[in-house]
Amino acid sequence: MEIIEKIKTNKSNDNLTEIQKICLHKLQSSPLPNPKSELWRLSNKSKLSNFLDYSVNEKDSKFDIPYPKNSQNTIRLIIGENCQIKLIKKNYSIQQLSEDELQKYIKEQISFFTQNENWSDLLNLSLSCKNNILGLKINGSKIPPIEIFSHASSNSLNAKTLVIFLEKNCDVELLQVNLGKENSSLSQSTFFCLKENSSVNHGVVSYGENRSNLLNSLNVIQQKNSAYNLGSLHFKFNYARFEISIKQSAGNAKTNIKGMQITKNDEQISTYTKIEFNGPNGFLDQINKSLADDKSHAIFEGSIIVPKIAQRTDASQLSRNLLLSNLAQIDTKPQLEIIADDVKCKHGATISQLNEEELFYMRTRGITLTEASKLQLSSYFQEIISFIPVSKDRWDLLDKLLHEN
Amino acid sequence: MQSKMKESDPILEVENLSASTDNLPILKGVSLTVYPGEIHAIMGRNGCGKSTLSKIIAGHPSYNITNGVIKFLGENINSLEPEERSQSGIFLGFQYPIEIPGVSNLEFLRVSTNARRKFLNKEELDTFDFEEIVKEKLEIVKMDHAFLSRSVNQGFSGGEKKRNEILQMALLEPKIAILDETDSGLDIDALRIVASGIKKISNAQTGIILITHYQRLLDEIKPNYVHVMSDGQIIKTGESDLALELEEKGYEWTDNFIKET
Amino acid sequence: MVNENLVKDVVKEPYKYGFVTDIETEKIEKGLNEDIIKLISQKKEEPKFLLDFRLKAFKKWQKMKEPDWASLGYKKIDYQDIIYYSAPKQKEKISSLDEVDPKLLETFDKLGIPLTEQKKLTNVAVDAVFDSVSIATTFREELAEHGVIFCSISEAVKNHADLIEKYLGTVVPASDNYFAALNSAVFSDGSFVYIPKGVNCPMDLSSYFRINSGDSGQFERTLIIAEESSSVSYLEGCTAPMFDTNTLHAAVVELIALDDASIKYSTVQNWYAGDEEGIGGIFNFVTKRGKCLGKRSKISWSQVETGSAITWKYPSCLLLGEESVGEFYSVALTNNLQQADTGTKMIHIGPKTKSTIVSKGISAGKSKNSYRGLVKMGTKATGSRNYSQCDSMLIGDQASANTFPYIKSQQPNSDIEHEASTCRISEDQLFYLQSRGIEFEEAVSMMVSGFCRDVFNQLPMEFAAEADKLLALKLEGSVG
Repeated sequence: MEIIEKIKTNKSNDNLTEIQKICLHKLQSSPLPNPKSELWRLSNKSKLSNFLDYSVNEKDSKFDIPYPKNSQNTIRLIIGENCQIKLIKKNYSIQQLSEDELQKYIKEQISFFTQNENWSDLLNLSLSCKNNILGLKINGSKIPPIEIFSHASSNSLNAKTLVIFLEKNCDVELLQVNLGKENSSLSQSTFFCLKENSSVNHGVVSYGENRSNLLNSLNVIQQKNSAYNLGSLHFKFNYARFEISIKQSAGNAKTNIKGMQITKNDEQISTYTKIEFNGPNGFLDQINKSLADDKSHAIFEGSIIVPKIAQRTDASQLSRNLLLSNLAQIDTKPQLEIIADDVKCKHGATISQLNEEELFYMRTRGITLTEASKLQLSSYFQEIISFIPVSKDRWDLLDKLLHEN
Repeated sequence: MQSKMKESDPILEVENLSASTDNLPILKGVSLTVYPGEIHAIMGRNGCGKSTLSKIIAGHPSYNITNGVIKFLGENINSLEPEERSQSGIFLGFQYPIEIPGVSNLEFLRVSTNARRKFLNKEELDTFDFEEIVKEKLEIVKMDHAFLSRSVNQGFSGGEKKRNEILQMALLEPKIAILDETDSGLDIDALRIVASGIKKISNAQTGIILITHYQRLLDEIKPNYVHVMSDGQIIKTGESDLALELEEKGYEWTDNFIKET
Repeated sequence: MVNENLVKDVVKEPYKYGFVTDIETEKIEKGLNEDIIKLISQKKEEPKFLLDFRLKAFKKWQKMKEPDWASLGYKKIDYQDIIYYSAPKQKEKISSLDEVDPKLLETFDKLGIPLTEQKKLTNVAVDAVFDSVSIATTFREELAEHGVIFCSISEAVKNHADLIEKYLGTVVPASDNYFAALNSAVFSDGSFVYIPKGVNCPMDLSSYFRINSGDSGQFERTLIIAEESSSVSYLEGCTAPMFDTNTLHAAVVELIALDDASIKYSTVQNWYAGDEEGIGGIFNFVTKRGKCLGKRSKISWSQVETGSAITWKYPSCLLLGEESVGEFYSVALTNNLQQADTGTKMIHIGPKTKSTIVSKGISAGKSKNSYRGLVKMGTKATGSRNYSQCDSMLIGDQASANTFPYIKSQQPNSDIEHEASTCRISEDQLFYLQSRGIEFEEAVSMMVSGFCRDVFNQLPMEFAAEADKLLALKLEGSVG
């Protein structure tokens, strides 16, 4: 674990930013997460240590985007390559956050961090150099769709950070694509701040190649009357963690999450979500789907926290899981922590195979078992994929998945 | 059981069929032969095994055949997969048609129709050609085109689900159709539509088995034979007037047959 | 439906089992070490295997750490400040119930558990445990006629040592957890039930646990063995006097069901919960587990948890036998500053095993009520199913309800379904009932009782009525 050795023996480097120094300092006393804690107990230890084995790469090799733009309109950004942006149009503006704004916001976030819960972010921010942090301030409406890419090069660990401020009344579609090359580790941390009345359709699509790893952390703060919609898809990683933390800072906001993870071979992909309502009238509708095949392991742990102040919260969380092989395993733990009394909260979880009655029905109509399974899987995916913005019109994602399953 | 000599070969022969699920015997020696052009009705109380019989003929994986054979056009089909049975011309109309969220009805019908056409060495249809055919068939069951763009059976009313079943039957043009309680949950108008649909689709070359509780479907479609099932067996076979008698006297009347046998 | 007058009566009553029986007791000195364990074993004239069992457990316990993972916060327990053996002084040998100290009989009388020949409950055989020892078991002869053994575990150690040696610690090993290890080292009494092959136990069996001393812990141990094709229904009740100190209760219950056997274990737990400020009350740290060893065996837990300052309890089923069945039906009600962390573990090991979990948590006052459960499908559990339903009801905006379901599957040919919801008593519902002339408090207790209906239906009749009363009583003053 090369990185950890470096963190332990950290001799303050003059090139480090203040944020890097703070995070390194926080990690120094105990550089690894507690393997017995709820958030890490199921995480594969040797895979995590494999993640940390690569040396940090601050300068990426040239990166080719794997698919063409669908229209000239789409705004494309690659973290680490083009962090200079200033678009001021009639209806909208997209500008870089100033150094001060960025520093101030990240520092404020760090002050809430605990070593265990935010280990992925602490690691990210202690490794992420200035070039690999993209900060955006988005304002206005009728904004063309935005695509933001993060990637890790082979045989290295890359840390990329994205900070986005959505200004008041702003409305945008944003797709984040995380790509892992062969034998690579990507640490991606994203910070989203939704000001009052803003809304975003946020897509996160992460896929790797052979033996690639991912620590993907997403921190969202929603102010009043904001709407945050997230559609996510994670697949083809030797090891991936998707950690989502969403705070409705004053309640009165809407959150919709539809996520899916697909594991095959001996992969381990997990999703952890923590949704906090710090005010009344919050709304959450969340569904997480897992599909585990071969010898793989899919994990979902979700918590919904409704303190006393969050009266009239309406929250629902569903964990739906398909276990397709005798050697695969699925863990799920949707949990509720509630103090307010006037709330509607429910959660549910199922683990099963493909529905046998549905399969039989299709087979009595002459559709073969393989075809029927495909149709069923495609409908299983469809609900999630249709929720991912920008990609949905043209991406051959669905085909790609079906091909592989 | 049938006394008349038949000129053509039977479509379906069920010979002394016994079957179980989870080691629980459900069918205890059922025999039934259906010739082209015949309509058979199977009646009986809930739990007598009539729905199970239909599922086993269609090849439901949850049931084990412990004895006997099912022959379709003279061939033993005991070990055929459900889709192979469907492709070769056996149709099961479900009592509770399954909802399949996310799978479009049109796509489902097209894949299914093509599977049958492939078996019949007919050309497979593309979406465009299929739309043409499906339009015609929609008429038979008086369904709106909008049904095609919805998910299979999802959010359909009881009547809509049953009409969707008959639409599938019309598209697949089976040799034999087993309709499991197709009349249940239908109001009188929907029942007429379904019945006339069945009549339009059937002909002198096809066989039909109607599984039902009640006389009212049989008022619309007159069966050649009526079989009464109880506890996994056919306990009485008669002509269409048996159904009327049954309606009048109730199933308690049939309990006497069991004592007799 | 709750009997209206009944509710009215009990709503006004405080904890009515809070009296102390003034009786001379024999206590050993405070503290825990090997000598104390040897002393307990010696007092009970135990065979060597049992002393070894205790000493081994003690060694393990010393190496273990007190768990801190449950969402409970409590003052650290000083294990050297507890008396591990306390027994009412009686004559040497008692040949009949008439020789039992009248004060003891009176105590159980007051608790609604008459033991004497004239008054004893019909159709329920009772084993009454007072502090560390069992003082009486009713209906022994009648049961013996059917070959059913029902006695205190101390007696069983003397008379049925072979069964004890064969089964004790096989479901809950001493090393299982901190409190199970402690219990294994110091357990003083408890009940033993053996149902022979093919026997359906002719009456319900019941143990009644009474803690009387304020400074001694209760560490009872229950072992129930149901041989092939036998069945038994067992009830457990608990009360304790009001003290302003916390008393530790760390019991272990082991159930074993062989082929086609069925065990139904029902608990109504009403230990003293402490006062409104959270002073005093029982710390209830209990390990209950059943092993469905045989094919088609069935173990069903039903519990109504209303008492204790802190409850930490997960009655579980190990489903080994093919087609075995595990059930867990629970109502946990917390009020004031009570904390409950309860749930179950359903471990599916054998094929075609089935489990059902129905948990109803009601939190009122400033209490904290958590469901914590584990459902696991092992690699061989093909064709197995689980269904869980966990509902919480919150009363007042200071109470908290948590749900922590751990679900793990390694078998694709199995189904797990978990549902949970949170609700409160809606104003519309209350208004509807009130507009029909039903008093406010009564309306509330009707709704609570309706919320718990699924679970109450699982309880034996006498218990269901008692449970209804208890809930109404516990909720007094918490609404409005």
